Amino acid sequence: MTAPAVETRDLVREFKGGIRAVDGVSLVVESGGIFGFLGPNGAGKSTTVRMLTTLLRPTGGTAMVAGHDVMADPDAVRRRIGVALQDAAIDPYMTGRELLRLQGVLHGLPRAECRARAEDLLARVGLEDAADRRVGTYSGGMRRRLDLALSLVHEPVVLFLDEPTTGLDPTSRVALWEEVRRLNAEHGTTIFLTTQYLEEADQLADRVAIIDGGRIVADGAPAALKADIGEPLLTVTAGDGSTPDDIAGVLARFGPIVPGSVEGGAGVRLPGGSSAMADAVRALDDAGVRFQAIDLAEPSLDDVFLKCTGRHLEGAGEEPPAA
Amino acid sequence: MTAAAPAIRQTAALAWRSIITTIRLPQAWFPALFFPLVLMAIFTASFGGAPGVVPGFPPVRGFLDFAVCGAIVQGVLIGGTSAGAAFATDIEGGFFDRLVASPISRVAILTGRLGASMALGLFQAVLFIGIAWIGGARVAGGISGFVIVLVIAVTFAAAVGGLGVFLALRTGSGEAVQGMFPLFFALLFFSSAFFPIETMTGWYAAVARVNPISYLVEAMRLEIIGGATAATTLAGIGIALGLAVITIGASALALRRRLRVAA
Repeated sequence: MTAPAVETRDLVREFKGGIRAVDGVSLVVESGGIFGFLGPNGAGKSTTVRMLTTLLRPTGGTAMVAGHDVMADPDAVRRRIGVALQDAAIDPYMTGRELLRLQGVLHGLPRAECRARAEDLLARVGLEDAADRRVGTYSGGMRRRLDLALSLVHEPVVLFLDEPTTGLDPTSRVALWEEVRRLNAEHGTTIFLTTQYLEEADQLADRVAIIDGGRIVADGAPAALKADIGEPLLTVTAGDGSTPDDIAGVLARFGPIVPGSVEGGAGVRLPGGSSAMADAVRALDDAGVRFQAIDLAEPSLDDVFLKCTGRHLEGAGEEPPAA
Repeated sequence: MTAAAPAIRQTAALAWRSIITTIRLPQAWFPALFFPLVLMAIFTASFGGAPGVVPGFPPVRGFLDFAVCGAIVQGVLIGGTSAGAAFATDIEGGFFDRLVASPISRVAILTGRLGASMALGLFQAVLFIGIAWIGGARVAGGISGFVIVLVIAVTFAAAVGGLGVFLALRTGSGEAVQGMFPLFFALLFFSSAFFPIETMTGWYAAVARVNPISYLVEAMRLEIIGGATAATTLAGIGIALGLAVITIGASALALRRRLRVAA
């Protein structure tokens, strides 16, 4: 039985002035999955990651990473984790190949192995052609891929990615997602990923914890979290000669009406999902109720966030990344 | 393998990286080579007639013989400031975090940067003396004198590098480290680095007389122009070593302080 990749109990980080950036976080992340740590800017994601990666000392609680205590045995943790923090920390004046070899030497790999690992990782993240160019000439997506490769030199068992795709264009974002998925599937590396993008957590993670104001407000598989919110919401707006009440009258046969869910129409929680939607449309037709627009919305992680915090997640209104 | 072996290898790797990035960033090395040489050339052209004419000027073959050690010390100060600024950039940019999150020796983070400063200091000393030699200067102290000059230069480079790293660790800002440079420069000008104390007057001479940089430069200079004694040499080496112990000790404490927030 392998130890959980991450296990924290009542983890707290209080900064000067009594601000609790992380305020009692308890998490268990099992080995082998992709864990998404979702929250708005300033929610405490990065502070938590800095504690888990031994860069910041907790002021309360405990944290075990890869089976070792971050406070009692930070070096054991460091040997087992890979870290790619926000704003890819890479030297613009060195080439990708040089940086990878340097990282290998720093990790104590024999020289020949440093070279081999560098070539292997360059190929894996698709940077062979740019390997001898200075990193300063790389695009944002290339930097993130190099950063990812650098964090993998010593074959960590847990990989921390702090907002790996923030600021990337949709294509680069999808490419990075693919790489993360492959890493998880082929190498069994546990991924601990922070993000402020709902889409990213939804697409990548098999488990999500939502943090807000330094506290975990929701924790579970994305599908389960969304299922807790309820059934998909069907909204229909009234057409010529019909009123929102006419629509509501028909839709009420299919589920509970959700007041105020759409302007100039009515909305209903539809237990049957999309198959029930056809029935509802037919019923509207049969009743002679004319309608204009019809929309079936699955609950999103934003709905989960909304329910837990009463606010929308920052960036939820932004154009979603192409998937 | 001994416990120290990984730290040594990590130090070498980080020193190599510091040297490479310095070479590739002209603004990191150009000022450290160009300004001291320009100042040396200007002073030599301006005061070339001073030796033997100005009362109090020590007996020298030529002004260049006199000026070269001031250039070395000035170059080392500029190089150390750049090293400190580069270290601060590592902190700002996250390279430092990557190192700290890796299982590498904490000491190597310091010694890697200092090793690069010492290598640059050695290069500057050899280059400047070489250029002065082409310009007609000679090392009166011979090979041993030359080696002593290099030893003092390299030790002083470690001291200045330590100061740069200390400032970087305390401020975490490259601009703040660069901002300290005028202060270092003042320290240099209020010493006998460029002109002999004997030609100075009043409080200026008094300040130069208590400035340890004066004795450090003096120790190097006497190896070149002649007249070095065991006392002057030991004073120079002692001052360079003392400064190095103080600044490197302070930077080690600053590193501990910065890492104390870490686990």
